[in-house]
Amino acid sequence: MKQRIIDHPVLGKIEERKLITFRFNNKEYRGFEQESIAAALLANGVRTLRHHEENGTPRGIYCNIGHCYECRVAVNGIQGVRACLTPLQEGMVIESGGRLPTTVRDWRSEDE
Amino acid sequence: MQNEKMIVCRCEEVTYKELMETKKTYNCSARELKLRTRAGMGYCGGRTCRGMIDKIAMFQDSPKNNKEVSLKYQPPIRPVSFTDLGGVKQ
Repeated sequence: MKQRIIDHPVLGKIEERKLITFRFNNKEYRGFEQESIAAALLANGVRTLRHHEENGTPRGIYCNIGHCYECRVAVNGIQGVRACLTPLQEGMVIESGGRLPTTVRDWRSEDE
Repeated sequence: MQNEKMIVCRCEEVTYKELMETKKTYNCSARELKLRTRAGMGYCGGRTCRGMIDKIAMFQDSPKNNKEVSLKYQPPIRPVSFTDLGGVKQ
């Protein structure tokens, strides 16, 4: 939790919020209630939110305003939830998507 | 040119080199470029790379596609899962 900016020169001090626990990929983390999932994970030093479906390259926060979908995770079983926009609640279970078994692209060489 | 490996389409990981080569070998329009390389078909709906693909398609424009049609905005504007559309909830 040490990476969190408590007292920002411009934005001022963080007002005290309830500390709650949540799970990300079967590990317990703690974060403030109602802050975005991406921020809570970043404060815990977790930057990789998912891996690319095709090549498995690690992906994380990119636009952080909800239109690039790079931060999509599965929250309580629901897929395609944007971590950067979803407020954190107590006991949330978050899983990150990984590489998919079959590739999309291997057909290209045949019908070139 | 060092930005060969530069990723143009982040969702589908299509590099600048791949797009330029496809453009040179097939001299294709923006739509054909998208169909051949999947650039612009990603989860974000082409938000990031649509403009760049259009530009690459119009690069050294040949008479064949000078009445260039740029890439369309495909609905839905946000990804919708089949479960939401009417799937059976477990």
